[in-house]
Amino acid sequence: MTFRSKLFVNFMIALLLSVGLVTTGVTVVTRHAFDELDREHTDALVAQFQREFERRGHDVLHRVQGIADAEPTVRMAIDLSRPNADISVYVNDAKGVAQSHQLDFLDFVGTDGSIISSAEWSARFGYKMEWVTQKEDWASRGSFLTKLDTQDGSALALMAVATVRVGDKDLFVVGGERLGKDFLASLVLPSNMRALLYLNLDPKFEPANLIDNAGPVNEAERFEPIIERERAQPSVQTAKIDWTIDAASSEIFHVIPQLGRQNELLGVLLIGNSQRSVVTLERHILWLAIGVAAIGLLFGLMLSWWAAARVTRPVQKLAAGAQEVADGNWNTRVVVRGRDEVGQLAQSFNQMTQQLVDQRERLIQSERVAAWREVARRLAHELKNPLFPLQTTVENLQKASSQNPEQFEEVFRESTGILLSEIENLKAIVGRFSDFAKMPQPELATVDLNDVVRNVEKLFEAQFGAVGRPPITPELHLAENLPKIQADATLLRRAVENLILNAMDAMPAGGVLMLKTSNGDGDVHLEVSDTGTGLTPEETERIFTPYYTTKQHGTGLGLAIVQAIVADHGGRISVESESGVGTAFHVELPTRPPHHQSAPVVIEQEEKEEA
Amino acid sequence: MKLRLCLYLAAISVVMAAAAPLRPARRPRYGGTLRVEIGAIVKSLDPSVAAANPEEAEAKDELDALLYDRRSESGAFAGAAGSGPFRLSAWEAGKSAVFAANEDYREGRPFVDSIEIQMGRSPRDRLLDLELNKADFAQIPAELARQATDRGVRVSTSQPDELLALVFLKGRTATENARVREAIVRCIDQAAIVNFILQKEGEPAGGLLPQWSSGTAFLFVAEEDARHAKEIWSQISPSPKLVLGYDSADALEQSVAERIVVNAKEAGISLMSRAMPNSETTSAHTGNVGPRGDTIHVDARLIRLRMPSPLPSVSLTSFADTLGPTTGIEVNPVPEDASPEDIYNCERSIISSGRVAPLVWLPQVYGLSARVHDWKQPAAGGSWPLADVWLDSMPETH
Repeated sequence: MTFRSKLFVNFMIALLLSVGLVTTGVTVVTRHAFDELDREHTDALVAQFQREFERRGHDVLHRVQGIADAEPTVRMAIDLSRPNADISVYVNDAKGVAQSHQLDFLDFVGTDGSIISSAEWSARFGYKMEWVTQKEDWASRGSFLTKLDTQDGSALALMAVATVRVGDKDLFVVGGERLGKDFLASLVLPSNMRALLYLNLDPKFEPANLIDNAGPVNEAERFEPIIERERAQPSVQTAKIDWTIDAASSEIFHVIPQLGRQNELLGVLLIGNSQRSVVTLERHILWLAIGVAAIGLLFGLMLSWWAAARVTRPVQKLAAGAQEVADGNWNTRVVVRGRDEVGQLAQSFNQMTQQLVDQRERLIQSERVAAWREVARRLAHELKNPLFPLQTTVENLQKASSQNPEQFEEVFRESTGILLSEIENLKAIVGRFSDFAKMPQPELATVDLNDVVRNVEKLFEAQFGAVGRPPITPELHLAENLPKIQADATLLRRAVENLILNAMDAMPAGGVLMLKTSNGDGDVHLEVSDTGTGLTPEETERIFTPYYTTKQHGTGLGLAIVQAIVADHGGRISVESESGVGTAFHVELPTRPPHHQSAPVVIEQEEKEEA
Repeated sequence: MKLRLCLYLAAISVVMAAAAPLRPARRPRYGGTLRVEIGAIVKSLDPSVAAANPEEAEAKDELDALLYDRRSESGAFAGAAGSGPFRLSAWEAGKSAVFAANEDYREGRPFVDSIEIQMGRSPRDRLLDLELNKADFAQIPAELARQATDRGVRVSTSQPDELLALVFLKGRTATENARVREAIVRCIDQAAIVNFILQKEGEPAGGLLPQWSSGTAFLFVAEEDARHAKEIWSQISPSPKLVLGYDSADALEQSVAERIVVNAKEAGISLMSRAMPNSETTSAHTGNVGPRGDTIHVDARLIRLRMPSPLPSVSLTSFADTLGPTTGIEVNPVPEDASPEDIYNCERSIISSGRVAPLVWLPQVYGLSARVHDWKQPAAGGSWPLADVWLDSMPETH
């Protein structure tokens, strides 16, 4: 991945994170606001319920007290206080009185708790309503919730008790209203809220006991866990019901227990708040955020691309320049305008390449001097050997001419022979130097290195097993599917010949010569190893120096020629050796030699791009 | 012998009571219009046209008694319309009728000139009209008799001649167990029904026939024992859930049924009441069981049995005919001249079956305006003797 791509991706990630954070923040803030609004609505509704409850309670108490204070009730109390009073005459009174006072429940109860007349269950006369006779100040008690048995089953009622006392006997007036759907219908609710009431009248959860303002609630069984929790531990709680997999169908219920006189759980009020509006708004915000994000991303994409390009273009130039330098073009220059860090870096880069060129020039100069010195030394060494016989021969001629003229002819013949021989020797020396100097540039063609190695090895087969010489065993390990390379076959052959000759010289007592080719990463490898005497570390360092040799008769140019050929092919040669074990030469040749540019490369920023 | 003596004494008391005048003797007066209100809606006075329900049949029987003179041997009226004490002068089916005195009636012209009959009047309306002097004669439910008296309405109450009973229907698995039936019967508080629901207008019933008719009613004693009922019920496993039916048009039956449900609930018995359409109930008044009486599933129901005759044998036979198809009780017909012992044994066999539980005896209660004179309670099964009443000259209020 390029630096530009990385920079672009980083820009995009930063943009996405920003949009995501903003969206999340808006959603959280919105939800918090809705939660707050919902809580306020619920608190208001609960307060309304409590107020309505209290108002109804006061109303019920007022009506019951009104019945107790009415003349017919007082007459009834007086009549019933008499001995052997006939209570049957009042058995149907409660129903009419309840209707006239708009009460759902009304019972006239005697001092012993016997029901004299019952509006909600007229047939229950004579039976006891014992809780009424318990010692309690009904006047201060006010209204209360209670479970009441009726002809149609149990009911939850908001009741009040008033007492009419005549002498030592009491007549209890017990009246109230049914707490049911009518009561719920009287509550004014926001459109997204509803009030449910569970009538805790049975030992087990009964779905039919959960009502709203229209009657029994659909899917009431979904409320069973909530109700069971209330039955186990009455407390204000909050619960959520997901009606479908759609989050908008969710409903949050605030659960408020309704307790009776003995703090027994008689009912459970559930204030439901639909999450549809909240979820819908959240979805709107989300889609808006996605839209804004998409536009932002598109804009960001273009901006990031432009910014990344602007930032990375000088860096790309620097990278290209560095690559040129790595390829050997030390004269490379990078032109980056500006005084920022990248401009300074480019300036430093140019200074660095200039210094490299200068250093190389100096190095070349010093190497050249050293080479000339070496050549001079070698020439002096090489020429010194034939010059000494020449000098001696000429001195012998001078001596013979002056001292033994009679022998001069014979000495002259011998001396001229020697002189010619040494001159030939000098000519050979000059010829070898001439050959090294005339090393040609490689003419590239497609070459199979394995073929080159095989052909050279065949040339030397006779010498490996020559009579009078310890045998050398060649071993070929040629890699299959070795890629062909662009190289000069003649030069390669010469290099391989020199390496084999060098190996043979290193094995005067015979041994094993191994030739091995292998495939590398974009290049091919050749290893030529012997089991000879090996080299010392010092010899290993200088082995490729021209005219350096460890042999008595060598010119010291063989391995230098090999190194020159390998270098001309863009390859690399190295040696590893262990004294007494052997030496191995490793040659790495690229499949395609690099193109050498000698002219300086200038990487310049286009004016248009710079603008 | 002791039983026979009781029966004779009872018969003598009945005869003396019937002979006693309601008012001090005054000289009768001809003229005036007797305003009668009835609850039933009579669609036709033709004896050959069947009534839609028992209430209409009963009312139609009373009206036909004004028009027709003779009865056939089967009990139905015969002869021409108008041969009775009155002739029909105006008729609006289901609403009203006017009967004019028949000047040629063989037993003499009735005292009143005409009788105006208003149909479809509710008990409350009838009581109110009597109280406001807008009606001269109306039959009112027994449970309203006390209320009528308290309001100053003149009330005439007959001997108890109608039995309200609880019957267990045949073919009901739940009530095939005699212990189940016993538990229910034991928990019923008859005294409370009489005292509170009937406002003391009636008698707790132990037998099928009242004491004045059979003379043996005191031998059938029904005692409430809720604790015993509870014990019996606790021994029944699994305990069934029972349904008690009543006539939806009968307020008394509804009240009694609801009271029985309360009694049962207190004894731990699972019993609920259920109203049955009037057409679904047994026509107990006429002694016929409706063909569709069992279409609504009830295990037991309340039934009214009205005596067709003062004679115990006739009433018992009628009762047995009514109860037989409903309860599956099979009783041999009782001859009219059956001895008191035979009647007692027959009654005992029906009660012992445990499928019929007599609850209360009800009287017939009539409200009369102050200007009505010489009203005599008809004997059980008899028609209203309206031809014998006369009206004084008190102004009529309309």
